[in-house]
Amino acid sequence: MATTLTINGETKSFDAPPDMPLLWVLRDILGMTGTKFGCGIAQCGACTVHVDGRAVRSCVLPIGTVANRAITTIEHVGSTPSGAKVQKAWLEAEVIQCGYCQSGQIMSAAALLAATPNPDDADIDAAMAGNICRCGTYVRIREAIKLAASGRQS
Amino acid sequence: MRILASIVVIAIVAVGIGVWIIRGPGPLDFAGGTKVALGDYSAGKPAGVPAKLEKASLVERGEYLAKAADCMVCHTKPGEKDYAGGLAFKLPFGTLYSTNITPDKDTGIGNYSDQDFLNAVQRGKRHDGARLYPAMPYTSYTYMNDEDVLAVKAYLFSLPAVRAKAPDNTLSFPFNQRWAMIFWSAVFNPDTRFAPDTSKSPEWNRGAYLAEALAHCGECHTPRNLGFALDNRKKFAGAITAGWHAFNISSDKATGLGNWSDEDLISYLSVGHAPGHGSASGPMGEAVDHSFSQFAPEDIRSIVAYLRSVPPQSSPDLPATTAPVAPSSHKDGVTADARGKKVFASACASCHGWSGESPVSPMATLTGTWAVNDPAATNVAQIVISGTIRHTPDGALSMPAFGNAYSDDEIAAVANYVTARFGTKGSKLTAKDVAELREQTAE
Repeated sequence: MATTLTINGETKSFDAPPDMPLLWVLRDILGMTGTKFGCGIAQCGACTVHVDGRAVRSCVLPIGTVANRAITTIEHVGSTPSGAKVQKAWLEAEVIQCGYCQSGQIMSAAALLAATPNPDDADIDAAMAGNICRCGTYVRIREAIKLAASGRQS
Repeated sequence: MRILASIVVIAIVAVGIGVWIIRGPGPLDFAGGTKVALGDYSAGKPAGVPAKLEKASLVERGEYLAKAADCMVCHTKPGEKDYAGGLAFKLPFGTLYSTNITPDKDTGIGNYSDQDFLNAVQRGKRHDGARLYPAMPYTSYTYMNDEDVLAVKAYLFSLPAVRAKAPDNTLSFPFNQRWAMIFWSAVFNPDTRFAPDTSKSPEWNRGAYLAEALAHCGECHTPRNLGFALDNRKKFAGAITAGWHAFNISSDKATGLGNWSDEDLISYLSVGHAPGHGSASGPMGEAVDHSFSQFAPEDIRSIVAYLRSVPPQSSPDLPATTAPVAPSSHKDGVTADARGKKVFASACASCHGWSGESPVSPMATLTGTWAVNDPAATNVAQIVISGTIRHTPDGALSMPAFGNAYSDDEIAAVANYVTARFGTKGSKLTAKDVAELREQTAE
């Protein structure tokens, strides 16, 4: 079934049933492998993308529900103001260890800063709790979010 | 001698009165109009199939009616062959298993004559003379006319025969005494066919036939009496069935369907979702998927017309109004249960949002649903444990089952947080309550 989605500002058309999860379309059909598959049941956050600017888990999101909505992935988030700040802070704080969860971490952090420009620890907990990091980079993630919010980046 | 006779007479009268009081009114007695035999009613056609299937074959008509009666959900074990039985019904006094109703001669109903089938469906009497337990809703199906019952039989006999024997029931004494159901049946099964009410519209009569004889709404939504039969004094007032809360569907404005628009009711029945009222899950989700979604649009409208006429019954356990949208920031609103909030932040917030209005789909919106406004949190806990899937014209939307990912403690905490944040009154579930809910729905 032909489907059209707006991904990173571009219109993409492809053949897929409406109940196919967005993550499958991104990775397997469109070859956009920046978004990761982790658990497949919205429990780890690795597959996080933005739909209309809000962080959602693409592994359980059927494409039938996101037609006509703006989808942003890790490939494009650097061109949004909060995404650019987050990526820069991530590099500065050297957050990443193995990196597998980090696309999702960055997407959740960018959505957080877009909605809450100066988050406190409780805001960070509430927004980031659904993103799990096996390497335990949580302390540096928190530090980088605060750095991005402060505007004190070099 | 005379004294003994008086005692016997008094005892018989007392038992009679007792039975009469417990039994209460029939499911359609509230309507109060003049009833006529189906054959003598010419204003409309309450029984049978919708107009588009009028000329269809017997098997096709039977298929429509079998779906309307929702035979399959109970007579199919998940993952096994359709209609081959074996689904477990966990009751406080043991487990019952549904039977194989495929035409297999040894393990199914292949040897049933038409009369045998009528006896089973309308009278709860098995081919070998043994009595059925009322988990089979024959006290509702008894209102079906013979022609419709036999059309269902023709459909079932058109299916492939599956050899499958259901496990033996594990009921404890005295419930394992099948013969005793003769008395239950004599008191609680009216053994009568649907009789149209001439004071009501043809649409109402069709709706009454569909809702009472086929869809058997009352079996879940009407509370039960001392004899475990439907208590129609509280018709459609809501009840706990199979571990889920089947909410009030009477015309009560506050806690029933009185304030639902016709469009809402039509949408809820045909796709399992109505904006602002949530999505059908659990047993009602199954009823929508396998039964109501297959109904002809005019049949759905008839059911709606009928539901509107059921006298209001208020549910004192529910609040008078559902709660409004919660604040969009996690900091505002209820934060009492820190553990529940933590689980919500990691597992729930990305789909349901902090306000309860889902950023993903209106079907995942919590605001306005009875589930989150029920201070017992029964359905919130159940859906967290078992997840849900809704099939819609735009594809399927699902929530994963978290039963194996979270402990009873965590599920209780998140249910208490969710009902406090998105409902009117937070629940006080404990790990023990959650363990009991798991027990009631475990396969």
